[in-house]
Amino acid sequence: MRIVVCVKEVMDPDAVNNYAVAGRLEIGEDGKTLTQTAIPRLMNGYDEQAIEAALRLRDEGADFTLAVISAGSDPEKMLKHAAALGAQELVAIQVDPESLDQQAFARLLAAQIETMGGADLVLCGRQASDDDQGVVPALIGEQLNMPVITVARAVALLDNQVRVTRVTSDGDQVVAAACPAVVTISNELGDPRYPSAAAKVKARRIKPTVVQPSDLGLSPEDIAPRVMLTRQFVPEVQGNCEFIQGEVAQMADSLIERLKADSIL
Amino acid sequence: MSENAVVVCTFEPGREGLPEGAEEILHIGRGLATALSAPLHWLILGPLPDRASATAGHYGVSSLQQMEDPKLLPSNADACVAALSGYCSDQAPQAVLLHQTLDARIVAPRVAGRLNKAVVMNGISIEPNGENLQLTASAYGGDTRVIYEVGPGPILSFIANAAVPDPSEGDPVSVENISCDLSEITERIEIIEQARFDGPRLDDAEIIVSGGRGLGSVDNYPLIEQLAEAMGGLAGASRPLVDEGWVDSSHQVGLTGRITRPNLYVAIGISGASQHMAGCSAAKTLVAINRDEDAAIFQYARYGLVGDALELIPELIRAVRDR
Ligand SMILES: Cc1cc2nc3c(=O)[nH]c(=O)nc-3n(C[C@H](O)[C@H](O)[C@H](O)COP(=O)(O)OP(=O)(O)OC[C@H]3O[C@@H](n4cnc5c(N)ncnc54)[C@H](O)[C@@H]3O)c2cc1C
Repeated sequence: MRIVVCVKEVMDPDAVNNYAVAGRLEIGEDGKTLTQTAIPRLMNGYDEQAIEAALRLRDEGADFTLAVISAGSDPEKMLKHAAALGAQELVAIQVDPESLDQQAFARLLAAQIETMGGADLVLCGRQASDDDQGVVPALIGEQLNMPVITVARAVALLDNQVRVTRVTSDGDQVVAAACPAVVTISNELGDPRYPSAAAKVKARRIKPTVVQPSDLGLSPEDIAPRVMLTRQFVPEVQGNCEFIQGEVAQMADSLIERLKADSIL
Repeated sequence: MSENAVVVCTFEPGREGLPEGAEEILHIGRGLATALSAPLHWLILGPLPDRASATAGHYGVSSLQQMEDPKLLPSNADACVAALSGYCSDQAPQAVLLHQTLDARIVAPRVAGRLNKAVVMNGISIEPNGENLQLTASAYGGDTRVIYEVGPGPILSFIANAAVPDPSEGDPVSVENISCDLSEITERIEIIEQARFDGPRLDDAEIIVSGGRGLGSVDNYPLIEQLAEAMGGLAGASRPLVDEGWVDSSHQVGLTGRITRPNLYVAIGISGASQHMAGCSAAKTLVAINRDEDAAIFQYARYGLVGDALELIPELIRAVRDR
């Protein structure tokens, strides 16, 4: 049995937030990319949780090969982290991310999964914290003709079935599907583990397999984008906040008075 | 071929006679159809919402279309994908627009994958740009906006949460039935346990009082619940409170929690990170309570109270009860 986790490298979203909250987030000359080169790049948090979901299946006794794959310009560091966590197969698909769209990424990842002999379960993060798109898992599902189950809080394997607890606005829902299937992981899964120091040292020597789109039988036309990012900007918030002054009790009374006057309460 | 329609697709019966977000997405569809001089069609998968005909009239829908089949339920992704893909292959719409529900987030990309079309989520607005369409979407949890140029016949999903202006008058539109054959479709996903809908949902609440990390300790969260109750609303929270296990995840407001659109949102001890705002910026009135007068949340607020949450909340509870 093989479980494949697809991972993406992103700018640390908390650092991006800190710049944004401080009003210092800037877009570069190209009009597309953030200028803050000091922001560290790391594995998308939900993808890290997807690896965690696989590791929990292993903790529970499931016997499988864990493959972690990524398409990007330099996913090596991220894949070594995955190796330190216990991934046995690591594949870096070498592409220039700027020139691709989500359909292309899904094609590359799906082709890689087929090339390595298929997967019984494909785990992905629910979305990437940079573009927030979250469409690659569903596109992979279509490519590989697998059902797609989103926003998992918990994943279990029973015989040849995957059973998933999903987070919905009406509460948790439990669904099941026969493997192979694509499952996306939500933050409710909980914190991912850290690799041990020894595992990290060992992982340093591991080299991911590097493949090109052509190795996967994909031509430039096959991965030509249908969606192009042409511009990125920082939205302006026009504040018109009325600060209510006074002692604590006064403030409370004035606020409630105003809300009543505005017929909000 | 400008006669090809702009299509709004919905596939939820909705709670008040209209699918969630239907008016918002029809408003966006109306704007795009006008800009392209194209007809606006509304495709309904599954049962007809009560207010569909009248609402279609208000938004200038020229054709209200329904695909009916017992298999067409929002949770039946395989059936919905087959129906919508079949429709797109037959009708070649200029664009298909959906309101971004959890189910739409699965159906939209799967249809795009099947048809090899462009797909974009988190749309905010759309306009023509030469031969193509240009879509503005939210990214980085709302910290930035991105503009995407999308190829022909895209499947586009919108987080349409801004207030929609009152629509114009218009005669009800009669329903046209579009045939679909789903006899071959067997859902591959089985629902073992339905989500238990216990009590009111934040998504539908008119008044929400949310607490954040500024509350300091789990012991203080009941103050939020008491104020919410006094105001006749529901209690929400920012993500750290969920991560810490103070409240369960059904209370989380934000990008990866509940997307709310109340009349009144009271944010207490919440800094105003974009990922939180993604779940409450559609509130008609936002009140922020924070001890830091420079907190980002005040940029979004109508009324601001600078002070200690733990001192202010009891006074607010008293003031609400007094009146
Ligand atoms: C991919 C991703 C998705 C995310 N999704 C969500 C989401 O869905 N929802 C969400 O909420 N967050 C989400 N986050 C987290 C988000 O970025 C913020 O970290 C989070 O919203 C901060 O919560 P907070 O405002 O409660 O805490 P903080 O940012 O720590 O703010 C606490 C505030 O309380 C104030 N304060 C402190 N003490 C007091 C006091 N005694 N009285 C009054 N005020 C006080 C402080 O001045 C401060 O402004 C997400 C993050 C990422 C990266």
